[in-house]
Amino acid sequence: MIAVFAYVARRIMTTIPLLLVGTFIVYALTASVADPLAKLATCNQCDQAAFDRLIDLYDLDKPIPLRYVYWMRDAATGDMGQAPTEGSAEVFPLVMDRAINTARLAIPAFLIIATLAVALGVYSAVNQYSKSDYFVTGFSFVGISMPTFVFALLLQVIFAVWWQDWFDAKPFYVSQMHTGSISEVVRSHILPITTLVLVITAAESRFERASMLEVINSDYIRTARAKGLPRRRVVLKHGLRNAMIPLVTIWAIDFAALLGGSVVTETIFSWPGLGPLLLRAIFNGDLNLTMGIIMFISLLVIFFNLIADLVYGMLDPRIRYE
Amino acid sequence: MARDMKRARRLVAAAAAVALVATACGDGGEEPTGDQTTAAGETPTATETGDAVDPANYCEGGSEAELVWAHEQEPPDMHLDDPNNNLSITSWVRQSLWDGLYGVSAATEFIPELLAEEATVNEADDGSVTIDYVLRDGLTWSDGTPLTAEHVKGTFDIIMEGYDVETGEGGVYLIGDRTGYDAITEFTVNSDTEFTLAFDSFYAGYKALFSEVFPTHVVTTAEEANAAFPEFEHEGETLPSSGPMLFDSWERGNSMTLARNDEYHGSTSPDVTNAGAACVTGVKINWVTDTDAQINALKAGEADMIFTQPQTAFGERISTDEAFTIASEAGPVYEHWGFNLFNPHLAQPQVREAIALALDKSQVMSALYTPLFGDALPAEGLGNTYWMSNQPAYEDHQAQYAGNLVDEAKAKLEEAGYTEGAGGIYEHPEHGPLSLRVGTTGGNALRELQQQLIVEQLKPAGIEVTIDNVPGGDYFGAMPFNPDAIACANSGGTEGNCELWDITQFAWVGGPWPGSNHAAYLSGSGNNPYGFANDEFDAMSEECDATVNDDERAACYNEMDKFVTTLEKDPENGLVVIPLTQKPSYYAYSNERLQRGAVAPDANSAGPLVNVVDYLPAGE
Repeated sequence: MIAVFAYVARRIMTTIPLLLVGTFIVYALTASVADPLAKLATCNQCDQAAFDRLIDLYDLDKPIPLRYVYWMRDAATGDMGQAPTEGSAEVFPLVMDRAINTARLAIPAFLIIATLAVALGVYSAVNQYSKSDYFVTGFSFVGISMPTFVFALLLQVIFAVWWQDWFDAKPFYVSQMHTGSISEVVRSHILPITTLVLVITAAESRFERASMLEVINSDYIRTARAKGLPRRRVVLKHGLRNAMIPLVTIWAIDFAALLGGSVVTETIFSWPGLGPLLLRAIFNGDLNLTMGIIMFISLLVIFFNLIADLVYGMLDPRIRYE
Repeated sequence: MARDMKRARRLVAAAAAVALVATACGDGGEEPTGDQTTAAGETPTATETGDAVDPANYCEGGSEAELVWAHEQEPPDMHLDDPNNNLSITSWVRQSLWDGLYGVSAATEFIPELLAEEATVNEADDGSVTIDYVLRDGLTWSDGTPLTAEHVKGTFDIIMEGYDVETGEGGVYLIGDRTGYDAITEFTVNSDTEFTLAFDSFYAGYKALFSEVFPTHVVTTAEEANAAFPEFEHEGETLPSSGPMLFDSWERGNSMTLARNDEYHGSTSPDVTNAGAACVTGVKINWVTDTDAQINALKAGEADMIFTQPQTAFGERISTDEAFTIASEAGPVYEHWGFNLFNPHLAQPQVREAIALALDKSQVMSALYTPLFGDALPAEGLGNTYWMSNQPAYEDHQAQYAGNLVDEAKAKLEEAGYTEGAGGIYEHPEHGPLSLRVGTTGGNALRELQQQLIVEQLKPAGIEVTIDNVPGGDYFGAMPFNPDAIACANSGGTEGNCELWDITQFAWVGGPWPGSNHAAYLSGSGNNPYGFANDEFDAMSEECDATVNDDERAACYNEMDKFVTTLEKDPENGLVVIPLTQKPSYYAYSNERLQRGAVAPDANSAGPLVNVVDYLPAGE
């Protein structure tokens, strides 16, 4: 256990420079294109006092590295500034608020994705080259090759427009939908979650199939079968556990990405999550907000990768944390 | 040349098809616009068909329901003068919250809104002018406070607070444009309903003043106004309304809700039938970014109405569906090609005239705009930058360039010393091949198609134009309104950078008072990227603006337009712009959820809530 704690501590220490470098690159790039003064320059009635106010507010007379240091210093204390393009809202609570909305899609979607990806991947691998394997493979390729927005709009048209009388699914976010009846909650969430599930499951099931195929063709599985263990037990107990290891890495990335907001899906379903907020922040040149969301996503990625590393050890005791 | 013509024809055919599938995305700098026409599938409203509707009982037969509008742009705040703001949606919402002295009709003309009648202009012998205003009786704010002349005076005081008229400096940052207000020398409140404004000389834009009257019994200073406007609340209370709606709530990222103002004093618009408060209980604006998702929302019954720039999906998915009414209206937003007069080729009037002769506006209209807007726009395109085709004073000043006059165009080039060179492109002995660049807001499909079409039209005349776009709204700052480019234009070509752009294509926003258009052409104006400078024009702008008689003033503006759209008034620097067409917006509502829609959503960029009292929900 001490080794695990030491490992975690070491990983956290190594992520700090990673985080600094990553956020600096994003900060420098965003700051170099997001110039609040350029926008103000098109404002006929804005005078020099307005320029001075912005220069003072955003330290625009300082070099970008110094501005980054100021920003990081404040961010470290939880002060991520205000978002001028969102009614001067405080960035941190705004990001948290939207993150909760995103999580309402991301968590159920991830649970379904994880279950389906494993089930389809294992089934497809165990029944390699069967009709059902071809079917699942076909589904996966459609899911991987079809752009997300096509799925999203198709689902809207089919379930919210054509078959509205049967399904009555909501084509976009319904205000306060999470406080309504179960039926309302389901109708509000079903289409965006299905979109996420279709797109991500398609890719993950292929990973799981490939991983499972490698495992079930390995010597120790053949030995287990030769010793007379039932196929089901061999696959689920001995095969699946090892085949999960590559998928855990993918899960860590996908779950962090889901929690960081799906720009396309959330935009099409007008879901007030992090995705559209980030898009808006970038288009409007809102540096504080862009950095706040990027920081949040970066922390998610680092956190879930750390979790994934720890899960490896649970799945495969041979892995040591040194 | 035959190959070019063939290519142009192919492009026209392709453009006509693509017009229905193209998406003209917004650039935020454009406003939608006014003149009721319809597309296929429209179900005319009762008011349009002339069915007897009792204005006093307009809402009878309708249900108690809110109007749900799915719209793509959420404003950062509700302060119209915040540079971070998206002005269109903010002003559209505020149209329904605060009335002004004058409104604008579907014909893009001023109409008394809070006023009982047209203001009376009195001209003294010394040229000074007083204007007498009379407010309607019984005007009230939504909190029950009477709306009086003191509110208009209070609005004036807030706008001018701290501003030095002599120096043009000072004033409170973010409180809007003071143009016109700074010409008021005295504001006299005569009674609760009467007041008088004094000017040293006649100010033609007087009807554009006080397009909003602030609730100055609540916010009394510019500082308070600046603090209250962004969230539309003051000390925890929602600001009172004088319009048909009340600001209710805003769930950022999701929706904004307006509630009906039951104290509303009624609309005076000639486009409105309902004499009383709105029939809808309120308006909910759902922010739906994706246009296809907006249409899905409309078709799914989750939205009653959508309003956007020309979109293909409208043509394909809504216009043929009898369940929806679509209206496109001509209005004050117009597309144009403008020339950089400091480009050595374009500095020659013959070259500009050759482009005007070879450019075929009617082909642009038939290929790109008629499929989207039917006969809402003139088939020959626009020929005036001061008056739009739906306004009474409109004259087509570019009729002589009625398109595709290739031989005449070539003759003009040869007159300027050009000779036909390799590949059919004309060459000048000093300035080389007649090769120019045209730029616009990249990513706007309709504009890009328009560019491509015109580029092909110019090739047979030996004029080579290459497309040089910059993505989205960044175009303006990078090209025609780049500080270096403006420095060049203002200095007569001696300063700045005169080579950033050659031809620009974008939209200007006009309105019922075209005097605001002068800035695009006045010598040394920061809004004049073309480099046009003409002392006579500058003097005439003041002369026109000082003309008290409406008809004479309108005629004067027409004469001013000839300076910039023809070579008649200024043979050297004239014809600096080629107006192409007005650019309407699309507006669609569900016939199943609404018995009647509101008319004139586009006039003066008013947006779909300008006549919100006329939306009548379907009966139970």
